[in-house]
Amino acid sequence: MEKNVVIAGYARSPFTLARKGALAKVRPDELAAQVIKGLLERTKVNPADIEDLIMGCAFPEGEQGLNVARIVSFLAGLPIETAGTTVNRFCGSSMQGIHQAAGAIQMGAGEAFICAGIESMTRVPMGGFNPAPHPGLYQRYPEAYVSMGITAENLAKKYSIDRATQQEMAVESHRKAAAAQAAGKFDAEIVAIVDGNNRVEKDGCIRPDTTQEGLNGLEPAFDKSGTVTAGTSSPLTDGASAVLVCSEAYADKHGLAKIARIRSIAVAGCPPELMGIGPVPATKKALERAGLKIADIDVIEINEAFAAQAGACLIESKIPKEKINLDGGAIALGHPMGATGARITGKAASLLKREGGKYALATQCIGGGQGIATVLEAI
Amino acid sequence: MSAAPAAIKKVAVVGSGVMGAAIAAHCANAGSQVVLLDIVPKGANDRSGLAKGAVEKMLKTKPAPFMHPAFARRITPGNLEDDLNLVGDCDWICEAIIENPDIKRDLYGKLEGVRKKGSVVSSNTSTIPLGELVKGLPESFAADFAITHFFNPPRYMRLLEVVGGAKTRPEAVAALRSYGDKALGKEVILCKDTPGFIGNRIGIYWSHVATVQAYDLGLTVEEADSIVGRPMGIPKTGIFGLGDLTGIDLGPHVIGSMLRLLPKSDPLVASFKADHPLNALTRKMIAEGYTGRKGKGGFYRNRGKEAIDLRTGEYRKKVRAEFESAKARGLKKLVEHPDKGGQYAWAVASRVLSYAADLVPEIAEDIRDVDTAMKTGYAWKWGPFEQLDMLGTGWFAEKLKAEGRPVPKMVQVAAGRPFYKEENDKTYRLMPSGDYAEIAVADDAWMLADRKRGKQPIAGNRSASLWDVGDGVACLEIHSKMNAIDADIVEIVKKAAKLDKQGYKALIIGNDADNFSVGANVGLALFAANTAMWPVIEQGISEGQAAYLGLKYAPFPVVAAPAGMALGGGCEICLHADAIQAHAESYMGLVEVGVGLLPGWGGCKELIVRTLANKKRPGGPMPAIAQVFEAISTAKVATSAAEARDMNILRETDGVTMNRRRLLADAKAKALSMVEGYKPPAPPEVQLPGPTAKAALDMAVEGFVASGKATPHDKVVSGEVAFVLSGGNTDITQTLTEKQLMTLEREGFMRLIRQGPTLDRIEQMLTTGKPLRN
Repeated sequence: MEKNVVIAGYARSPFTLARKGALAKVRPDELAAQVIKGLLERTKVNPADIEDLIMGCAFPEGEQGLNVARIVSFLAGLPIETAGTTVNRFCGSSMQGIHQAAGAIQMGAGEAFICAGIESMTRVPMGGFNPAPHPGLYQRYPEAYVSMGITAENLAKKYSIDRATQQEMAVESHRKAAAAQAAGKFDAEIVAIVDGNNRVEKDGCIRPDTTQEGLNGLEPAFDKSGTVTAGTSSPLTDGASAVLVCSEAYADKHGLAKIARIRSIAVAGCPPELMGIGPVPATKKALERAGLKIADIDVIEINEAFAAQAGACLIESKIPKEKINLDGGAIALGHPMGATGARITGKAASLLKREGGKYALATQCIGGGQGIATVLEAI
Repeated sequence: MSAAPAAIKKVAVVGSGVMGAAIAAHCANAGSQVVLLDIVPKGANDRSGLAKGAVEKMLKTKPAPFMHPAFARRITPGNLEDDLNLVGDCDWICEAIIENPDIKRDLYGKLEGVRKKGSVVSSNTSTIPLGELVKGLPESFAADFAITHFFNPPRYMRLLEVVGGAKTRPEAVAALRSYGDKALGKEVILCKDTPGFIGNRIGIYWSHVATVQAYDLGLTVEEADSIVGRPMGIPKTGIFGLGDLTGIDLGPHVIGSMLRLLPKSDPLVASFKADHPLNALTRKMIAEGYTGRKGKGGFYRNRGKEAIDLRTGEYRKKVRAEFESAKARGLKKLVEHPDKGGQYAWAVASRVLSYAADLVPEIAEDIRDVDTAMKTGYAWKWGPFEQLDMLGTGWFAEKLKAEGRPVPKMVQVAAGRPFYKEENDKTYRLMPSGDYAEIAVADDAWMLADRKRGKQPIAGNRSASLWDVGDGVACLEIHSKMNAIDADIVEIVKKAAKLDKQGYKALIIGNDADNFSVGANVGLALFAANTAMWPVIEQGISEGQAAYLGLKYAPFPVVAAPAGMALGGGCEICLHADAIQAHAESYMGLVEVGVGLLPGWGGCKELIVRTLANKKRPGGPMPAIAQVFEAISTAKVATSAAEARDMNILRETDGVTMNRRRLLADAKAKALSMVEGYKPPAPPEVQLPGPTAKAALDMAVEGFVASGKATPHDKVVSGEVAFVLSGGNTDITQTLTEKQLMTLEREGFMRLIRQGPTLDRIEQMLTTGKPLRN
């Protein structure tokens, strides 16, 4: 019999705006280390039992390079015997880390893993410091390198999602996030980041006063005749996140607080110029593997890279919007690329517990044309 | 306090209003650490909020008070209650608070308790006599006290009036003078303690006369500005436009304080009529918020499309003034012209020049100080005594006599002789005694004109010349129209590279013009392109490249000394010098894409080589390439020498001179310092990524085009720039030589000049002076 794999802890840093935000001056490795320390304290897991620190990062270079997972393991005070690996699947990186941990546990290759994610979009630019695309491929198949904003425009056109509809999603995302923040619903997941005399404990991207009228004033950000603006896109963000993934037997033996069981996982490719639709095929596969239908899912975390993108997925996968992103999505909270996967998986698990449903889904799109999905089951 | 004045290094400014804050900013520009203090506002959360807010506001102000945003960090904001001790280690404490003698004296008393021995205290007052300011204060304070009067905005206006009192130590004045000159780059004029000193004394009268005479003679504001504007050597705003710029609400204050301080016999007091309709008009304008450009409008509104009718106070469509006299060549022809414009010019000139000529020696012993003050404080092209020489002192006196008006003192002293004369390669000015005194030129502060006087150039043509500037150093002067680079200049550059054959050991490149060079003469390129003379154009590029390389590898040091604009080909010549000694107000950049071209005279090459060589740059080739690409493809122009350093146009070892008058001397000193053991630089070699870098840049441009931030032809032009900067069809493992990079430049240039949209850009630039966004 395969081993059950559970999420037994979730923590994240506040998410703040790149360059302007409170974490702009904090090194990403330091940011991740503080989050992992917080996770260890909260879960009370024995660090000596951690097989591997799997760190997702979309642009693993500079301060988040040099196999940053290993560096962070030193900074966080993990035992020297715990290994560390950095995983890159762009925005899906840290969810991929969770998948790898789940696979390893089922292979009998470890009992407990920290699956973390990290991105300082202030300190390492999107695209990296030295972009070097393949010139021949760029000529033959420029879609391989298509800009993310244009993919959102493509979906907006294909699914006829007009600007007002996109803006409605953005307003809703900010409203939910602001309400959750006001109600203290993020307190249990956020680890305050200490940087010298500076203590950062609140998310910085949420704009509670977001309105349709306000968003109407923005210029299109990527296509002058398009509909996607900065207000209907997730902002460039600094942040880190981490979840504790372990076998259910291990959790039970050590009295860890299980949050949810991982029921199935999947990744899938899609046309790069429509990368935002990636959650649709990934979700389809994951649901099939779990033997479930979308209607069986109670709680859904779908990453809002762009309102047009998330909107297209809702249409295509027939997802009711009441079920998604109960505490707000990435348009409001921010999207530190490598850190988002662990956030939405940890969040989906926590929400499943809080809201009392049976199944949860966490899914996101990935640049280059991919999707990734995780189905969770209440314990 | 008999201690000799230490050089001023650390500065405190008290009062963070517009002037105080901007003085602090300019001291920071000069490299000083600055303490900026103000009062604690009632009920304030942040007790230092006023000073902090002033610094923050200045970071958004245009024109920028700071030469580089990072210089703001040199200012420590504080408040007078908690931080007064911060002035304790300051060498100069500049007070710029409210114009109230009691409040000022109270502050001075407090400063006296904390300031260090030998420090200098000054007031930026423009109206309060020095004697009144030190009344009741200890001798020790009076000995260290002076007035330092800056003009707004302090970064840009070059005049600094310094007034010492009877008790002021000469060393204190000397310290202020030296810091004002060398560090702040000002023309420091030592003034007497008389109302308005020099600049405002004459300037306020001038402004009063020019506006009242316009009204009385029945001129419109446009007509007045068409005369008391360019034709009279005044900035093109004209007199009413100037009022809009400085703020109409300021007028009653400055004139009011002068009226209080001046004797009844002074022509300002004598001619001022409180009930003049113009005063009623301005009062109404101020009351209704029409305070000038900062308000709802002024004499002009709606971006200059409408002007006010001085008689009715109603706005109407602007009407272009068409005086024949405005086209007259020379001041004399203007004031002699019989039309209404000529009559107005004479009405203003005769009064203002008489006023100035009557004030020497009352306000200054030296007519040159008066001329310098008006030129650098009010941006007049010619000072009053220079204008009198243009008219002829004899002619001026005769005309006044004929009109039954008194002849002013200094014009009587001149008795038909000029105020300035040149004799035996020296210049002289007329002193109040009636004798001429030589105008001495210091070895470390001169203009090229001072070195050219009475000499023949080593070589020269209509666009450029080579001059001997002493000590074995030659100067390459560009003097074509707008200092645009043409084939004649390239000829002289070639000759300059061989100056060692004539015994010269160093070369500087500089001139006295407002702008070092605005770039290559694209009119010639357009003509050649329209007649399809491609080989001629290509030869022009090759020859320019060869000439600039000739300078770079000449067997002697070459130092470029840009000031003002150094754009395109003008920037490229600087980039090929061994060193740059830039005036702080240098505006440098490679702007060729504005006319659809790329820098073809080694600009792309030098900038990428310099940026790659900068040890502080991030790793990998792309950050350097991306930085240079952004600068060239957006035609970025540095707004100061400090910014040019960020762009790698200036290197770490390049120097900056604050005082324009010291620029060439500093450049010469730098060149001489490099003479011993001089070896030409080794030709650079670089490794560039080739097509992968071009693909990365193309992607970025694609995004800008899609989002409407770049035009279709921008994409073409920046594609060529990207090709050059990425090294063409190279590979990161290959080494590229300087010549190979310049070949890429030349080929890219030739592909662009053949394109219709590029020629359209050139044509529009030549006809309108504005770039075409096609």
